[in-house]
Amino acid sequence: MAANIPNDNITLPASWRGRAPVFVAVGAIAVLLSLGIFYFTNTEKAELGFRTFFHSYLANFIYCLSFCLGALFFVMVSHLARAGWSASIRRIAELYAYTIPWWALLFLPILAMVLFTPSDALYAWNGNVDNLTHVVQEKLVYLNPIFFSLRTAVYFAVFIIAASVYFKMSRKQDDTGDTEITLKLQRWAGPFIMLFALALNFASFDWMMSTDAGWFSTMYGVYLFAASMLSFFAVMIVTCYLLQRNGRIESLVTTEHYHDMSKFQFGFIVFWAYIAFSQFMLYWYGNIPEETLWYKYRMNNNWQWLGLALIVFHFAIPFLGTVSRHVRRNRGVMAGWAGLLLVAHWLDMTFLIMPNVSENTPMSVPLLFGHLICWIGMVSLFIALFLWRVGDTPVVAVKDPWLPDALAYHNV
Amino acid sequence: MSEHKVEKKAKPPRAFGWMAEYEDENKLLDAARKVRDSGYTRTDAFTPFPVHGIDEALGIKPTVLPWFTLFAGMTGTIVAITMQIWMNAVDYPYIISGKPYISLPAFIPVAFELTVLFAAFTTVFAMLGLNGLPKFSNPVFSNPKFDRSTDDRFFLWVDSRDKYFNSDKVKNLLSDTSPLSVEEVREDESPTEIPRSLITVILTLILLTLVPGAIVLNIRTAKSNSPRLHVFFDMDFQPSLKTQTPAVASIFPNGRVQQPPVPGTVARGELEFADPYYLGYDPAATASLGGSSVNLVSFQDGDKTPTRAAVPDDGQPPSPADQPATTDAPAETPAEEKIVQETGPAAPAQESTAAQEPAAPVAEVTAQVEEPASADEAAPVADLPTVPANAEPNYAWLTEFPLPTDEALFDLGRRKFEQNCAVCHGFSGYGDGLVSRRAEALAQGYWLQPTSLHAAAVQQQPVGRLYYTVTNGKGKMGGYGASLNPKERWAVVLYVRGLQRSQNAQDSDVPPGMTVTTQK
Amino acid sequence: MASIASPAVDNTIDTPGRRTPLITGNQTYSSVTHMVARISEEAQPAIWWIAFCIAFPLLLMFGALIGYLILTGVGVWGNMSPVFWGWPIVNFVFWVGIGHAGTLISAILFLFRQNWRTSINRAAEAMTIFAVICAGTFPGIHVGRAWLAFWLTPYPSLNLWMWPQFRSPLLWDVFAVGTYASVSLVFWYMGMIPDLATFRDRSKSKWRRMIYGILCLGWSGSSRHWMRYEKAYAILAALATPLVLSVHTVVSFDFAVSQLPGWHTTIFPPYFVAGAIFSGFGMVLTLLIPVRAIYNLKDLITPRHLDNMCKIILATGSMVGLAYTTEFFMAWYSQNPYEFFTFWNRAFGPYWWAYWAMFLCNVISPQLFWFRTFRTNTVLMWIVTIFVNIGMWFERFVITVTSLSRDFLPSSWGYFQPTWVDIGMLVGSFGLFTTLFLLFCRYLPIVAISEVKGVMSQHAHAEHRLAHGKH
Repeated sequence: MAANIPNDNITLPASWRGRAPVFVAVGAIAVLLSLGIFYFTNTEKAELGFRTFFHSYLANFIYCLSFCLGALFFVMVSHLARAGWSASIRRIAELYAYTIPWWALLFLPILAMVLFTPSDALYAWNGNVDNLTHVVQEKLVYLNPIFFSLRTAVYFAVFIIAASVYFKMSRKQDDTGDTEITLKLQRWAGPFIMLFALALNFASFDWMMSTDAGWFSTMYGVYLFAASMLSFFAVMIVTCYLLQRNGRIESLVTTEHYHDMSKFQFGFIVFWAYIAFSQFMLYWYGNIPEETLWYKYRMNNNWQWLGLALIVFHFAIPFLGTVSRHVRRNRGVMAGWAGLLLVAHWLDMTFLIMPNVSENTPMSVPLLFGHLICWIGMVSLFIALFLWRVGDTPVVAVKDPWLPDALAYHNV
Repeated sequence: MSEHKVEKKAKPPRAFGWMAEYEDENKLLDAARKVRDSGYTRTDAFTPFPVHGIDEALGIKPTVLPWFTLFAGMTGTIVAITMQIWMNAVDYPYIISGKPYISLPAFIPVAFELTVLFAAFTTVFAMLGLNGLPKFSNPVFSNPKFDRSTDDRFFLWVDSRDKYFNSDKVKNLLSDTSPLSVEEVREDESPTEIPRSLITVILTLILLTLVPGAIVLNIRTAKSNSPRLHVFFDMDFQPSLKTQTPAVASIFPNGRVQQPPVPGTVARGELEFADPYYLGYDPAATASLGGSSVNLVSFQDGDKTPTRAAVPDDGQPPSPADQPATTDAPAETPAEEKIVQETGPAAPAQESTAAQEPAAPVAEVTAQVEEPASADEAAPVADLPTVPANAEPNYAWLTEFPLPTDEALFDLGRRKFEQNCAVCHGFSGYGDGLVSRRAEALAQGYWLQPTSLHAAAVQQQPVGRLYYTVTNGKGKMGGYGASLNPKERWAVVLYVRGLQRSQNAQDSDVPPGMTVTTQK
Repeated sequence: MASIASPAVDNTIDTPGRRTPLITGNQTYSSVTHMVARISEEAQPAIWWIAFCIAFPLLLMFGALIGYLILTGVGVWGNMSPVFWGWPIVNFVFWVGIGHAGTLISAILFLFRQNWRTSINRAAEAMTIFAVICAGTFPGIHVGRAWLAFWLTPYPSLNLWMWPQFRSPLLWDVFAVGTYASVSLVFWYMGMIPDLATFRDRSKSKWRRMIYGILCLGWSGSSRHWMRYEKAYAILAALATPLVLSVHTVVSFDFAVSQLPGWHTTIFPPYFVAGAIFSGFGMVLTLLIPVRAIYNLKDLITPRHLDNMCKIILATGSMVGLAYTTEFFMAWYSQNPYEFFTFWNRAFGPYWWAYWAMFLCNVISPQLFWFRTFRTNTVLMWIVTIFVNIGMWFERFVITVTSLSRDFLPSSWGYFQPTWVDIGMLVGSFGLFTTLFLLFCRYLPIVAISEVKGVMSQHAHAEHRLAHGKH
């Protein structure tokens, strides 16, 4: 069967791998720099600087983690559905998912803050009980440092176990070509997806939603899921495009794959808009104070421009831009659209978390600037982690039994 | 017409083209490529399912169908948004559940649905239109073998209108592609016209479907003396009985739906209509006066005495002398406005009609008839169920309070007066409340100053009349019967009496041991 | 040519890298045509007549009850303060939900290139139409004066001089369900055109040929027609996918935009959609398991198809379970005492039996599909799907009735009691549904013949390629 596989160069360009340390350095410096920026732009209130930094850190952390979570889900669901088409791109997703262990390390600063300090810089419930409203005080049974850390450990355990099982088994198949492995992974996909869904759902509540401890939305987990999947497909398109620009996996990832990834990306643009709209609509229509407060922060203090930008750049423009089949089959153009969506996804995460810094934090240029620097840092770390994780691993699972299927299929 | 037919039949059947039959899609594809490479463009294939690759093999160009969808979808969105804004914000604007006229979030679901509706229907109809369907007469159907084109046979067709068409060459070309058969498609000999019987049936059916509509239209436009046809009852017929209609099966022997009250009884919940305490006048006495009292209860027995007003043990209202009042200076200058200095806002002891007409038994009804302010008032008609708002009713007013008057009642009266009355009548009752002053400041022509409670006419009114006014209103004043309970209303009357007395106090009213100061 | 695999193959067993044959038994194009077309050409089996004789009187009863309702008024239902949305709305949401599987199979699975849909999509779509007809009946007669229900449409009325209120979710419902019903209908009809042409061409009698000839609009199978037809089909699938999501989303908005505890929660839209797909697949299986046995379609609707549907039921049932969990958790987390009371009351209040029936049927019973036995044994499978249907009815009952019966005013709390009309109408709606489905089996192609042939052809190509690649 391997004879069918075109003899592509399926490892990373050596020059890329060499750049990983540079990315790490840039990442670390940029993240620290953003801390400095936040600190010095809030000179009169140093505490506010820390608050802003931690919110920015969390937003950018989730931004990067969401790619990996999307990748993990994609890998599992591909197996579950016995998808043939994705065989040639699934390894890249596996690699992204397998960086989650390192992302767990990057969550440690937040975890340490929660566990060892009574700081309310990110989570009000971690601070002085007397400052909390009655409603939040009642939630302390759930939102307390110990239980929070335990849950975080469980979430990461689920993600890490799933990611490593799928990556390692797939690597094993590279050597043995054993089709039993595919069957086994297929069988495990169902339970893993259930665990994943539970973990993602509650992780979104704990990590992100509780930055505004009084507010709640049952849809929140689904929202994060939609955003993760959308951004994952965007990352995949960009990754494949860059690899192919460098002469890798040229005949393994065909126009049909771009078409399919673009279709999924398009689908999730719509799904994201659907979820975001439904959540907004229900709270707007219900008009209950404790629910609308979240949106009130986001419709004032200049944050409303960010909200409008989301409607335009996260939905309207990419929707119209990628509705055509011809666009979806054009690799360069699609990479451009994917890039736009990655920016939009960053705006989305900013919109979710940054207005929670304090009740009346305006969206200001210094804040956005610091946040942007932090973003650059985190994305650099993301790239570095990915490059390291790939190393000399082939980016296509050459002995995957579905690979011939993936290379042969055509979109109708 | 018939000549035409004959002429047609005389001609040899027209040949439309050549048709080759294949047993599977691969042979068809090979043949199609061959035919395409030979330069034929007016070709087609007929297959039981869409054969993958046939478009390329026959050189079929992509369809413009998606553009129809796109534009129809956009039309749907625009129509929906415009429609909703126009209907709910322009043509018939009204606020509901606190939402703005133009509530874009609320308009999105319908906008989405109409987008899909327009796009989907346009797609289907555009597809049928571009395909030229429905088309019931197609020359390819003339060959019985063609019936298997929807089962398991694949047909390749070369049209005779192709510019390179040459019957023999095409036949040879097709025969070389290993077909099951190659046949020329000729004009069908069978008549192409739709049979008359079918037309008749269809026309009849169409006409029949119009009948119900025509009947409805006729009924809706025509006039008729017969009763309305009730397709839906629509609550027009109910077990309840209507006024002015004879009861079909009344349970009463006299056949009436409503019955007069049984003598000597008070209907459940209607005690208030019989009790002077609630009314401010004695209904029985009023009836004997020929007054136009509203009465649902017959008082033939005449023994109906209000029980609500319990007479104090001593039978006497509290004496004003019992009440403390302090005055600091002697009242010397009547030209100045006199204010009785006191601990409370008004001295409860100052008033009480009981003091003026002492020892009148409470709830004793005098048959004294208040002379109407406008004496030329039309004589009350006994049959009238109600009195016109401005007419002075001819009632047997209570002249005494039907309840014990004490300081607590006076205080209650003051509170209620200040809450309900003072805005118009003013705190001292001169008709100079804030509302009145504001209206005068605005110079509103229609504003009528509220009556001064110190006007002689008001002062002379018996308490029952005042109570009646408080309860039912007078002129522009609305009634307070709904917002004040009877005790509170009587308390207000008591307080008004107190006010009246306070503003027209004589030096003799000052209790001994108190002095009156004069405000400069 | 297009013969496929051998009958001995158990096509529920996966071989990685190889697509399992979707139909079994050495079928040819012709045999597939015959297998489907004979159903409407031959006399119906006795069981069809028995079913019809049960279903049709129920339909008549449904009609009579509607007449009784219209002539008497909605007081004949158990709807009573504070539960003004009783069984009619429960039935409405139940039937709309059932409808979703048809569109899901024909549209979403089409977009996901799930070829196994071809054997079942026609029947599922028909089920969609019939379920939506049942669903549409209930709000139509629920408006009180049913003969004025057309006031819901925005038409320039000379009597009213006003317009519908577009800020109301109930009006969105009119548009959503209306669009859904009509688009599903054209989608279904369009899909049937080529198969109706097959029926026409197989007709022996002149009248039959004429009727099917008119119904299929003179379809000839021209490749140009096929090309546009396929494009239109793909576009309709792409349109129907968000449409099907939107319909149950709007239905969920009916509840969720209110401020009633238990209704006002943001997860309702995706949760309703998941529940709808869940119940829809339940109903598809409930119908298709007997149909494939009665009409001997086991080679077309193979164990593989049933297996896949069971898995979808398992997946969506778990999603529904996740939504229940999230809702319950968030009821506590929100620290809204009314919200939490509502959920507590659902589980442990007077309607505990409904809640646990729902939970058992919707969350626990589909978990049985983890076991292969339940995915391959049609009897067990059928029993589980019955539970799914019951459970989803109870879900709508729990949502609608428990929240309403305990609203903000404790003095008006009450316990809902259905009347015999309520029960009769629910049973009657099944009569309507079953009658329509039986007529569909009798007169129309219940399997998309041309689509199955297309998949056979593709599979043959794939096998050919595989064989070719191996040497």
